[in-house]
Amino acid sequence: MEQILVANNLIKTFERHEKKQKKVSFNAVDDVSFAVNQGEIVGILGPNGAGKTTLLRMLGMLMKPTSGNVTMTIDGQLEEKETKLKANIGYLSGNTKLYARLSTRELLEILGNIYGLTKEEIDSRIDRISKILNLGEFIDNRIEKLSTGQTQRASISRCLIHNPMIYIFDEPTLGLDIISSNSIIEFMKQEREQGKTVLYSTHYMEEAEYLCDRIILLDKGKIIAQGTLEELRTLTGKDKLRDIFNSLIKEVE
Amino acid sequence: MSGKIIKQLFKKEMLDVLRDKKTVLMMVVVPLVIYPLILILSMGIMSGVSQDMAKSTYNVAISGDLWAEYVVLLVETESEEYSFKIIRSDDMEADLQNGTIDLYITADDVLGEDVVCVYYLSASTKSSYGLNIVLDKLEEHSRAKTYDLLEAADLDPEEVLKPIKIEYLDHSTAEESTGSLLGSILPFMLVVSILMGTMYPAIDTTSGEKERGTLETVLTLPVTSKELIISKFMAVGLFGIASAILNLISMCGVMAYMFNMMEAMGAGVFGQISVGKFVPPVIIGVLCVFAFAVFVSALSMCVCAFAKSYKEANNYITPVMLVVMLASFVSIIPNIELTKTMSLVPVVNLCLLLRDLLVFKFNYLNILLVLFSNIIYGIVAVLILSRIYNSESIMFGDGQSGIQIFEKRSNMKKGGVPTLGDAGFVIVIMALVYLYVGSSLQLNYGSYGLVLSQLLFIAVPLSITLYTKKSVKETFKLNLCKPKKLAGGVLLGIGTIGWALVISAISTSLFKESAAASQQGLEGYFPNSFLLGLLIMAATPAICEEMFFRGYVFSALENKLKLITAILLNAALFGVFHMSLAKFLTTAFLGGMIAYIGHKSKSIFPGMVVHFMNNAFACVVMYYPVDFALSFEFLVMNNTVDTLISIIFVAIIAVVFPILGYKLMADKITPNNE
Repeated sequence: MEQILVANNLIKTFERHEKKQKKVSFNAVDDVSFAVNQGEIVGILGPNGAGKTTLLRMLGMLMKPTSGNVTMTIDGQLEEKETKLKANIGYLSGNTKLYARLSTRELLEILGNIYGLTKEEIDSRIDRISKILNLGEFIDNRIEKLSTGQTQRASISRCLIHNPMIYIFDEPTLGLDIISSNSIIEFMKQEREQGKTVLYSTHYMEEAEYLCDRIILLDKGKIIAQGTLEELRTLTGKDKLRDIFNSLIKEVE
Repeated sequence: MSGKIIKQLFKKEMLDVLRDKKTVLMMVVVPLVIYPLILILSMGIMSGVSQDMAKSTYNVAISGDLWAEYVVLLVETESEEYSFKIIRSDDMEADLQNGTIDLYITADDVLGEDVVCVYYLSASTKSSYGLNIVLDKLEEHSRAKTYDLLEAADLDPEEVLKPIKIEYLDHSTAEESTGSLLGSILPFMLVVSILMGTMYPAIDTTSGEKERGTLETVLTLPVTSKELIISKFMAVGLFGIASAILNLISMCGVMAYMFNMMEAMGAGVFGQISVGKFVPPVIIGVLCVFAFAVFVSALSMCVCAFAKSYKEANNYITPVMLVVMLASFVSIIPNIELTKTMSLVPVVNLCLLLRDLLVFKFNYLNILLVLFSNIIYGIVAVLILSRIYNSESIMFGDGQSGIQIFEKRSNMKKGGVPTLGDAGFVIVIMALVYLYVGSSLQLNYGSYGLVLSQLLFIAVPLSITLYTKKSVKETFKLNLCKPKKLAGGVLLGIGTIGWALVISAISTSLFKESAAASQQGLEGYFPNSFLLGLLIMAATPAICEEMFFRGYVFSALENKLKLITAILLNAALFGVFHMSLAKFLTTAFLGGMIAYIGHKSKSIFPGMVVHFMNNAFACVVMYYPVDFALSFEFLVMNNTVDTLISIIFVAIIAVVFPILGYKLMADKITPNNE
């Protein structure tokens, strides 16, 4: 399988204020390298403060790594340029809110223009996205007027407008009800069938078990294990992902 | 950078801001409503007052031998605006108090002379007005009597009473008088209104975006931070300009209405105004107003970008607003002129320029200075803004640099040094306190006032440090330092003072007027005794100013910024606080070096010593100029031996001391070092 996204020795250093506000440097992400292949769903798991969000932000080019780099294979070319990568990534997290005072259609049109699509392309993509996510009934309403589920669908539509090669989702189902989170899970599965790649982080073990082709376990900024569910089962001798997770985290401590 | 992307981002910002009711209200409704409202209010008050006057009938009681004569006088001179009703009063005081009578007049003949007393109630407006009318009548009556007496004595009263004829004519044209009237209010209103107009879009596009969580969404787009800032800045700048235009239109409308009214009422001067004369200053003024609006937009965006929420941004922008408002008050002070220096002071320059333009004063150099300085300030603010938008700690930060003083006290963390936001806030407060309280202390109590105003430099930051629960010891660097570091600091300090003298000599020759003014200003504060002078002019500032600048402010800067940035900011601030163009470079240099010494020694005390030495040096020159000149005479002698000595002397001070000091201050590199 073709490698589509590669993280090379990513390190992100932050400063933390400890007692008496003495500055202490620490690596939120500490020398992380891995590759993601085309057409797979990769789950990033880890306890709170493991560095998941920071890692995904660096992969999504929202944050610059202190050292290391991220490359993507776009049209057979190895690319490293920030804007080029962003144009091929659909990034979604709990922090990527929408402009409440715009309607979904206005938002999609503006974003489409920013991604450099033509007017015809934008119109046809909005039609398609609207069908996939069932936006029809509220696409022209202001986003502030939408329900939580509708807002979530509008959020996903934002990641679709430029037809990216890879989706990076940071805890996309956090705090959502069953119906809303199901729509996201189904969406990820559908996209995999289309040959798209998904990289996502979650706290829900069952969800990861059900969805992920490969799992990367992160703790204290380092990868402590990675592989398919089968490989992890062999490694730990446990069956459930929850138990695998617990035993690996314990091992490190 | 792509124009298409900027256009799209700009479109998004505009849609977003325009659909926010609060912003539109502030920007459109306020200027369109406030000026007519002020007009209506003031007209209402005016007509109320004059109507009141028109109907007035004053109740007057008159007694005394000559009462009849004065009753006739008052009744004879009644006019359309007022009349007198003569009534009887038995208890003058009670009747005055309860308003039965407005005035009580006694008129007696004392040894052939008319003695008239008018009793009135200064607390009552009506009584006071009545007094003025009666006094005028009495004055007239007295003049008439004088004329009669002089004519009876065969003299020409005109010649006797007015041996010199004095005439005075107002040379300003009608336009000028109107202009000066407007010039004092208009700049202030305009500046404040533009600030109000840009404030909300600025908050909305920066901290509002963070609060609503859309910033991270934008960061996922293939957009560079330059494109992002330019689009945001264009949107806010456009709102600034739009707000300026709306303000100007509304103001012009109200003014036109006023002129029409005045003309209809036949109020002389306004009839002669030719609109054509207003055109050139208006065009130039409008350009400057636009440049200012753009500058204010960038400035308020810079301030708001640090905030994480609407509320926090409001807290940050309030001090800015206060400073801008105070600065714009300048246009109301008559004696301040738009000089070249003033043309460079933000806000003040625009207000003074508008005032000048409205009375048709043209100085193209100053106009250009105002225009370009506003453009340059705008560019600088945009550059700073782009730095902020590149900084991940501010974009994703934990808000550690916020103004903590506005938070709940129970939420404040104990210990540590102040945040940057707190430092900024305290600087603004200190500037205001020093400007108003400090200068009035100095004016009223001379050199003791100077000491008191210096104590403010400790009182303000100390009380805020205690309130925000910061560590006093850490904030003010109250650590004893090693003798070696102290020695190093002092040596480096001596070198610094030497170099400061050179800088001072250069800048004094560059800004002669400013140097003379600041020298003159200082001289009044030196007490007679040298020791007292040393205490007031050297020791006090060395302790107090150091506590504020190198203590409170520098520890906040040092904690968050790169060392060089912290030192440069501290230096600039120290320079600005001395409020003299000629002194700026010297004081900034001293301040920066002392900050470095403080950083290296981790103690405030070496800096205090250096500051004291510098001021003490100035005291010696001040008190013993002759002795001083004599003891350094060898420096200016022409023979070779002395020249050699002087070169060695200067080289030691300027080169050897600083290097030695630097070496002594340097940290030893040990394996255990952090």
